[in-house]
Amino acid sequence: MSVVRLIARDELRLMARNRVAVIAFVLLILLTLVAAASAWTHQRGIATLRARHAHAAEAAFKGQPDRHPHRMVHYGTFIFRPLGPLAAFDPGVDAFTGNSMFLEGHRQNSANFGDVRQSSLLVRFGQLTPAFVLQVVAPLMLIFLGYGALARETERGTLRLLMLQGTSRGQVVGGKLLALGTVALLGGLPAMIGLVAIAAEPGALAVPMLVIALGYAAYLALWAVLILLVSALVGRTRDALLALVALWAVTVVLLPRVAPDLAGAAVPLRNRLQTEVAVARDLRTMGDSHNPDDPHFARFKQAVLDRYGVATVEQLPINYKGIVAIEGERLTASLYDRHAKASYAAQARQIGLVDRVGLLSPAIALRSLSMAAAGTGFAGHRRFLEQAEAYRYALVQRLNRMQMEAVSYADDGATDAGADRRKRVAAHNWQAVPDFRFVGPDGHALAGDALPGLAVVLGWLAGASGLLALATRRLGAR
Amino acid sequence: MTHAETVMPPTPDPILIEDLMLAYGAQRVLDGLSLRVPAGSITALLGGNGAGKSTTLSALLGFTRTQSGTIAVCGIDPAADPDGARRRIAYLPENVALYEHLTAVENADYLLALSGERQGRGAITDALAAAGLQERAWDQRLGGFSKGMRQKVAIAVALLRRVPVLLLDEPTSGLDPRATADFNGLLVQVRARGTAVLMVTHDLLSAADVADRIAFLEAGRVAHEVKASGPDRFDVRALHARFQTGSARIPA
Repeated sequence: MSVVRLIARDELRLMARNRVAVIAFVLLILLTLVAAASAWTHQRGIATLRARHAHAAEAAFKGQPDRHPHRMVHYGTFIFRPLGPLAAFDPGVDAFTGNSMFLEGHRQNSANFGDVRQSSLLVRFGQLTPAFVLQVVAPLMLIFLGYGALARETERGTLRLLMLQGTSRGQVVGGKLLALGTVALLGGLPAMIGLVAIAAEPGALAVPMLVIALGYAAYLALWAVLILLVSALVGRTRDALLALVALWAVTVVLLPRVAPDLAGAAVPLRNRLQTEVAVARDLRTMGDSHNPDDPHFARFKQAVLDRYGVATVEQLPINYKGIVAIEGERLTASLYDRHAKASYAAQARQIGLVDRVGLLSPAIALRSLSMAAAGTGFAGHRRFLEQAEAYRYALVQRLNRMQMEAVSYADDGATDAGADRRKRVAAHNWQAVPDFRFVGPDGHALAGDALPGLAVVLGWLAGASGLLALATRRLGAR
Repeated sequence: MTHAETVMPPTPDPILIEDLMLAYGAQRVLDGLSLRVPAGSITALLGGNGAGKSTTLSALLGFTRTQSGTIAVCGIDPAADPDGARRRIAYLPENVALYEHLTAVENADYLLALSGERQGRGAITDALAAAGLQERAWDQRLGGFSKGMRQKVAIAVALLRRVPVLLLDEPTSGLDPRATADFNGLLVQVRARGTAVLMVTHDLLSAADVADRIAFLEAGRVAHEVKASGPDRFDVRALHARFQTGSARIPA
């Protein structure tokens, strides 16, 4: 057996004979297993629930009787964001952003019913997911198991004993690293087994899963290196423990909590009420189709009449009210799009700021990597909102076109006894409306989104390894 | 694993020190120290505090770099190739550091495995017995061991490592008279198999009992060296007087 493996084996033997270390390790394994199982069950439950609700909403829309198309515009429909298999590993912002939307004419609604809003505030402290356990709990457990790896040898004089057997400093550090790496690997194993189980699910994407596995492996390896670096630099075990717990508290707890607050303060984001007020104000200046004196719609009406070569809207071969509905929807949609883009841009700036803080905290970088690869980050949420809006716009304009083509202008304005019957469009038209299907990005796109976070984690690992190599040269020189 | 070793011209003496100099600023710790320890012999190095005894051992182990002179362990310069030199040395420090989470047998097994000299449990327990450690302690963890018991484990490891050089730093410190006598008996056995033993000690009686030569170190150099001769080996009374009064002087 090589010297490095001998030292690693002895370090593992020391841990195995330390009751506290064994309890900590078993707790980590149990926690990861429970997290994997509960996240898996939760994800399956949510996926089933959303699929059922989506089906019910589609059935309700398609089950409507003969109706005026504009009634259907306001009847609207609900859509739900389906969860990918990787959401079981890292649900990301899904619990916070909401996952269902009511689609209707004239307005864009925001996503509703995030799990956090439906739950107690305790949920905000962190869901028990494999990602949370590996990001937050596993480094702390590694610290408690490894803080004394080198400091203890220095403090008790056994480092010199090792060197007196002809063991080099590099072999000592290599052995300790191998031992701590083995513990990290075993600690992360249940989560990785969960990933493999996810891989068997339909819709699972291999490339982002590999990126996630690589990212978490690099993150845990980074902590193993950091622990040994501090343990090598600090000659006393107590000081090493204090320094490492402080490092963990700042990089894993403090910065990830403070960074979004800083970003929120630096780039203020309108809340829903402010957005509603701003949209309403802009709508007033945009034009009112019901006001015959409105300059925009007066020009629009004249343009339509000119295009068809007629003098009045009654002479048009199509329903002018339908044309106005289409134009009105175009205008309001463009207005909402403008506000949405401003909001997206502000959120992107906030995320950019958080990512920059991530240069100081590998936990932030890993979180960003993990959510991006799982498709549960901001990009995934935005993708859902954009596809939802595209679907809503197409649906509303389809209904408006029905009004324009299938309901005559005369009937649309009639109030006689049979008018209501004549305004209605056959129910099979609703059944012909395509369902909303969220199209997720392909694996390479998800992996691409995760690369910046991966680069930061790998950069940290390279930097810490370089420092450890330098510290190794001076090991025991005191 | 390969180690680059700086091999000097062969020398018959496993420990060779010539005109060794080391100073920290104006303070000369080693000042022209010269010492040879032939194979199959025991040299005791005596001297007051600060005479340079521990520094000499540290230089032989490659932990201290000297400024000039020659130092070699089996022809290897410890400063240039500390790992190579250490593989030829068994060292017993004054304050024995061993692993408390391991038993006596496991400590020996681990350290021997690291030095590439792994031996079976039988050989290890024989060595522990020879070092005077009671059988019931062999498979106990060192957490509850006294200083003397730890020292016996370290002695056993040193005995098991069949290396050409044995360095001892106050080896009988903490041992009772019976254990000291047993230890001296072990040293004689080690010498008999051709090992060069350098023993730094304050224990004049023990040195007189086993050493072939006693060197008095003063101000970083050997001030006086006495060889064992005759049936009484050393005139202990004269040595004691010299040691007490510090009257050792460099011969003119």
